[in-house]
Amino acid sequence: MKLRKAASFAIALTVVTGLLAGCSKGNSANGAVKEEKGETPAAEQAAKDVKLTFFNTSAEVNTVFEELFKKYHEQNPQVTIELIPTPIGGAQLEKFQSLLASGNPATIVNLDAGTILQYKDDFLDLEPEKAKYEALTNPGAIDGALLDGQFLGIPWTAQGYGLLYNKRAVEEGIGGAFDPASVKTRDDLEAVFKKIEASGKAPVMLHGADWSLGAHYLGLTYSLQSQKVEDNRKFVEELKNGQVKLTENPQFTGLMDTFDLLKKYNARKSDPLVADYNRDSADFAKGAAAFYFMGDWSWAVIGTLEGRDADFGILPLPVSNNPEDFGNTQVAYSEPKLFAIDDSKSTPEQQEAAKAFIEWMVSSEDGQKAIITDMGLSMPYKDLKAKSTNVMSNAVSEYVKQGKIINIGVINYLPQDYWAKTGAAMQKYLVGNIDRQGLAQEVQDYWKSYAGK
Amino acid sequence: MNKKLSLKNAGTFLVFGGPSIFAFAAVVIIPFIVGLYLTFTNWDVRTGDSSLIGFTNYLEVFRDKVFLQQLWFTLKYVFFTVVIANVFAFFIALALTRGGRGEQWLRTGFFTPNLVGGIVLGYLWQTLFSQVLPYLGAKYGWELFQTSWLTNTGTAFWALIIATAWQLVGYLMIIYIAGFTGVPNDVLEAASIDGAGRTSVIRRIILPLTVPAIVICIFISLSRSFLTYDINLALTKGGPFNSTELATYHIVQKAFLSNQYGVGQAEAVVLFAVVAIIALTQSYLLKKLEVES
Repeated sequence: MKLRKAASFAIALTVVTGLLAGCSKGNSANGAVKEEKGETPAAEQAAKDVKLTFFNTSAEVNTVFEELFKKYHEQNPQVTIELIPTPIGGAQLEKFQSLLASGNPATIVNLDAGTILQYKDDFLDLEPEKAKYEALTNPGAIDGALLDGQFLGIPWTAQGYGLLYNKRAVEEGIGGAFDPASVKTRDDLEAVFKKIEASGKAPVMLHGADWSLGAHYLGLTYSLQSQKVEDNRKFVEELKNGQVKLTENPQFTGLMDTFDLLKKYNARKSDPLVADYNRDSADFAKGAAAFYFMGDWSWAVIGTLEGRDADFGILPLPVSNNPEDFGNTQVAYSEPKLFAIDDSKSTPEQQEAAKAFIEWMVSSEDGQKAIITDMGLSMPYKDLKAKSTNVMSNAVSEYVKQGKIINIGVINYLPQDYWAKTGAAMQKYLVGNIDRQGLAQEVQDYWKSYAGK
Repeated sequence: MNKKLSLKNAGTFLVFGGPSIFAFAAVVIIPFIVGLYLTFTNWDVRTGDSSLIGFTNYLEVFRDKVFLQQLWFTLKYVFFTVVIANVFAFFIALALTRGGRGEQWLRTGFFTPNLVGGIVLGYLWQTLFSQVLPYLGAKYGWELFQTSWLTNTGTAFWALIIATAWQLVGYLMIIYIAGFTGVPNDVLEAASIDGAGRTSVIRRIILPLTVPAIVICIFISLSRSFLTYDINLALTKGGPFNSTELATYHIVQKAFLSNQYGVGQAEAVVLFAVVAIIALTQSYLLKKLEVES
């Protein structure tokens, strides 16, 4: 009897201490990794197995990445890569932060450039790799990826946005061939819209989500100030200090005048905030609306759609009635996601393996095929070994080749909540809850709350 | 002897209670204490810097007008959710304890939404509100459903309540059913012999005798609806223009989107205090109404 009690007590004690030990073990292991860092010669480790983790915020292409990891593992059996997926459109940043805070960050991350900048101390400086990537990519691609002048992340995808158009819908609306170059000003655009409306079609689809309105639409205010990202950053600083009155800023007023136009001819006029991305994209792709303020990434939805039209293109968003003004002939363009390598907990051999893997991903035939064909993205790289089926990104590429782009790099330096907060103000404006003055006020108030930060 | 006995008891307790205590400490108590500590610092995950700054974060909470607005919004939301969910659950439970046919099926049916995760449920209702109902509204000319409920500040509020209540009803119903089966049959028989009608039986016998179930149900619905996050995220994402952000949603945004962990955590502590005070007060007051049969 006594023995049983003693035994049960002992078991309980082992269970509890075991659990506690299990808890602390993780910590000490992490500590060990840190101590090890820099001491073990890389060469000695090279033959050993390396395990990498890959944190992915491009959630819609999780499976393509996983296939790539498998392929790479077949070619390089000593390297295993594990995907840390995130859900589409939610809690991505939260997950990244909790991994970091728990001392368990991913070796490679695929993150927004702005996020990498915020955590720049945790990422490896890729300066030694810069020359190699400059040779691999299109001119300007690496410059566009620099964050505060530092090369912290490798660009692998490029995106552009503006006024997408459905060629068939536009041509049926205006009753003739459509030449995108004929729209150089806001009035030109309105003339086209009028014709389309008269034919009984909806002229334009305006997606009512805060990210589209806040980051892509209103965000152009900052990028349109100048061709130089530096100047645009200065403009944002002036907004924070309250030195700028938006209602007196020609770029802002021009943009909002165009917005009024889109609002007037919006296919979702009766219920503008519905913001169902799949439905809006599908309606546009099937010709229910002739134009769509969106980017080439919508191909992921449109490309596989049944019964869609075949010909699409992109127009710059006209922001004034002077065809010479900056923005009227340029489409917004950026390298939104970068691959970066962790430098807080990863071992040198992990980092070396990560570098090799990323290079393989962006330069090998397998990698490029996966990115261009399977993901439907465009890459800012030279001599691509795969042909893109994304009609829209091909249209964007034409503008890139001619140098007709708005560099929207300033968004990398903006606080993370700007699109949600200013997007909400734009939504209010869209449904007529506030007027132009009120919108300017709310946006200015938002920036002032970041004064000195 | 006594010493031995207490040691023995401690051993038995550890065997059965130890793992739960450990789990509870690991996922509730320790995070709570760490969280409390966090509210007194200016910790930033990006730099890892952290220093003690006293009550600054709490002052910030009361200066954050948006949070106070959203706390008020949450209170309204909780009030309607609790009332609607409990009234429905009570009467559904009443209807399903009369011994009719197919009762078990109906009970299962009403309970099912509770098994569906909040995110899935939110998306489900989102499709209903933003596509199915407007479609029907346009087809049959119903004014009420012409536009999506989720794009209007007022209707989005009710959409949120309907979705939450719908999920809660099944769970509360089970508790009410358990409460009703605890009402002694002889009391009910005596009442019917005395000629009491259905309403007076409910008012004078069933209601007083099921106070314990009501206390539990209100407590559960209160705490659950105060902490609603998933449905809020999936159904409205706080929109249109942040007008349906519940307190929890605001806290998560504050911490993770605006990178103000200390303030966000302090707001979470304030929310915790509000929930604790309201839930404890209601159960204390209602418990006084309990009667013996």
